Amino acid sequence: MADYIMEAKNVYKTYCVKGEKKQDTRIVDAVKDVSLQIRKGDIKLIFGPSGSGKSTFLRCLAMLDIPDKGQIYLGDECLTEPGVDLNKARARIGFVFQHIYLFRHLTALGNVELALRQVLKLPKEEARKRALEALAEVKVTECACKYPSQMSGGQAQRVGIARALVRNPDIILLDEPTSALDPELTGEVIDTLRDLAKEGTTMLIVSHEMPFAKEVADEMIFYDEGRIIETGPPSLFFNAPNTDRAKQFMTRIINKTNR
Amino acid sequence: MAVEQQLIFILEGVPLTLSISIISFLIGITIGLPLAFLRAYEKDISFVVDWYEKIFRGVPEIVLLLLFFFGLGAFFPFPFYNAFFVSCLVLGLRSGANQSQIFRGAIHGVGDEQMIAGQSIGLPKWRAVWHIMVPQVFTFSTPGLGSEYALLIKDSAYVYVIGLLEIMTRANQIRINTTDMVTPFVFAAIVYIILTFPIAFWLDRWGNRRKKKIGL
Repeated sequence: MADYIMEAKNVYKTYCVKGEKKQDTRIVDAVKDVSLQIRKGDIKLIFGPSGSGKSTFLRCLAMLDIPDKGQIYLGDECLTEPGVDLNKARARIGFVFQHIYLFRHLTALGNVELALRQVLKLPKEEARKRALEALAEVKVTECACKYPSQMSGGQAQRVGIARALVRNPDIILLDEPTSALDPELTGEVIDTLRDLAKEGTTMLIVSHEMPFAKEVADEMIFYDEGRIIETGPPSLFFNAPNTDRAKQFMTRIINKTNR
Repeated sequence: MAVEQQLIFILEGVPLTLSISIISFLIGITIGLPLAFLRAYEKDISFVVDWYEKIFRGVPEIVLLLLFFFGLGAFFPFPFYNAFFVSCLVLGLRSGANQSQIFRGAIHGVGDEQMIAGQSIGLPKWRAVWHIMVPQVFTFSTPGLGSEYALLIKDSAYVYVIGLLEIMTRANQIRINTTDMVTPFVFAAIVYIILTFPIAFWLDRWGNRRKKKIGL
């Protein structure tokens, strides 16, 4: 049995940003030699400036982007080896997107049910039962028969979370789950995440919700320019981070919250 | 030949015109949908799709009809020396090329994110295409499909060159037999309009309603 639920070893990922002219095209190192270990029940929080590659790193962990170099382990299984069934692996990882990406042609129930029916191949009644349970868990039962276009952002994101957790994944990766929402709607999503945290769900969250981080995170990870700059418990970051860059960033973010 | 008889004679061609256009429309979907997705998600073989589209959009249908019916028909009487089969096949192949382009635009419009979300829940690529992309792509392409169907009804008139007794052939026969140069073609024109518009209109409206519902 592996020590970690998920582990990244020296992961690299670059991508090309095409400009309007040829000389504007540049190569971005989104992930440079990043390693990370997550144990069962861990709640880790990644934060850092926008455009630093946090989302790309998260996508690499779920193998939605294939890393250029390095290994990703899910339990004992190395996902970056050739010939691994990535679909099976992805079925064990929950992913929540910044812009939600619910399936627009399906109701909330349909969104949550799809993986149960088509990936886990559960019989109809059982899938429906589990999907309704998941919707109840994130408190959006009233939206079960609504289409994504008929929901508020907060409701949609909670359906997104239900879609990720209904399969009982080993870990849930959340890519800025609240940053695309109106400020008054972030609260309900944060509450949902807090509930999940209480139940011991293993989570890796990209987020800048600092009060929430302080409350639930076991470890915070400051990420900048494709690297992990500093890691430590929330108390470290809220009192005195070791690196200047983390210090600057924390000051800026805390000022912004207080204003 | 009395005017009513002319009209009845032309109307008797409606089932044939409709069945040619419906069957070739369905052949077109069966060809166009997979082609569009191959083009979008299998870059290695997208050149095949490219050539298919070039050929069937570039060659006039009359040429293809004559080539398939008389050319291929001479060597393979079964199934090519059958005017109905060749008509549906040629119009279907051409429609496939058109529909592939309609669907490609729709795939683009629906967006990659839906595919990524589908893969994130563990669906294999082509199952994600089937369960997530296809339903949305259809909704997205209804206006294009409506005009494609209208095009097929009109293009089915070409099959008079291989002698199928549909609306156009019948109108032409009346002209030959009665030397009335005007009435049969006016009748044919009216019948074509009646066949074309309701369906395109209905598809458009259905599509718009559905789009509103799913917020595309």
